[in-house]
Amino acid sequence: MSQRAWLLAWLVAVVGVTLVHAPVWLAGGLLLVLAASGPGRVALLVGALRLVWPVLLLISAGYLVAAWLSDSLAWAYLLLLNLRVSLLALLTRWMMRDLDLDRALRGWPRLQRWLSIVRGQVEVFRRLAGDYRAAALSRSTARPSLAQRYRASAALGLAALDKAVYNAEALTQGMRSRGALDD
Amino acid sequence: MHIPDGLISPQTYLPALALAAPLWVLAGRRLRARLGDEVLPRLAVFTAFAFLLSTLMLPLPGGTSGHAVGVGLLALVFGPWTAFMAYSLVLLLQAVVVGAGGITALPVNALAIGFAGAWLAAGLYAALRRFGEAPAVLLAVWLSVMGSALLLALVLGLQPVIAHGPDGTPRFFPFGPAITVPALLLPHALIGAGEAALTLLVFRHARRRRWLVAPG
Repeated sequence: MSQRAWLLAWLVAVVGVTLVHAPVWLAGGLLLVLAASGPGRVALLVGALRLVWPVLLLISAGYLVAAWLSDSLAWAYLLLLNLRVSLLALLTRWMMRDLDLDRALRGWPRLQRWLSIVRGQVEVFRRLAGDYRAAALSRSTARPSLAQRYRASAALGLAALDKAVYNAEALTQGMRSRGALDD
Repeated sequence: MHIPDGLISPQTYLPALALAAPLWVLAGRRLRARLGDEVLPRLAVFTAFAFLLSTLMLPLPGGTSGHAVGVGLLALVFGPWTAFMAYSLVLLLQAVVVGAGGITALPVNALAIGFAGAWLAAGLYAALRRFGEAPAVLLAVWLSVMGSALLLALVLGLQPVIAHGPDGTPRFFPFGPAITVPALLLPHALIGAGEAALTLLVFRHARRRRWLVAPG
């Protein structure tokens, strides 16, 4: 199956999961995805749950309190919500692990180009922020206060912005000269 | 701020997709018309900046934290249509690369944060400019964050009414607006203030560097 077909299958699966309201089917789906995802499935599940557990904990606890106060607790609903959100997170995590997004988007060159450019810029920012933060830390002998951290972050952010724009302009000129922006 | 997958119903996200799709087409056409070799790299950088703002936590007094959005900054520098398109891309990246937010919730998030947030920021800034740049930027961005948070709170709060079982049990998000509105607006009043200050800082820097594309 091609990468684009996998991407479409993921989209269909995600939409499909939101149409299912029976916990038993969602639990079956969860087991099926775990079985189909191959080696590393435990890490995949842990990664997915790490993404959603704060939201699920907050909503479930809030619902339990509200239902206890109004004497209308529905365990099936709690199960449904937790299974659905976990299954959706697992599907997305699986897609993130196994799908090559650049190959999957080969039919949409503009979207592919924009995703590549922005992902590249995100990496540039991360690297610059890491460099500047390491430099600031190496110059500090004591733990900075909150106000100092805000001031340092502002200076760091603007310096990183300048450098990122400079890098991006050079990159755009390079892409233009190679005809990558001609269509 | 944005909603993850599994909390909003198809009865909500499918109409939102039908509404967002033509707006994306329109915004894409407008973007292509104004996208030159000078704007492209800046927009890419500011879009990446908005993406990182959404992933970086803002330390708040008392040890808590929240994340900024960056759509107000995009709207003030590039205009609301471009900001809408760029922020939709940020949401898409978050959904498929980081796994934050979600693909089914994307149209709702794009409309509430990307579209309404950008137009609120740009419109309010234009209306408030005569009172000075700093108050205009600060108020426009703060109100834009609060407006987006209110919209998302209402969308979430309507879920128990829109999607429930025959016995009235919710199928998606369980709480009504009486809970979602204060739950989202109270922390965002503080997060919005932080975002407004950050936007003013970067907006002034962008004006000094002559990066502004939107009028103002």
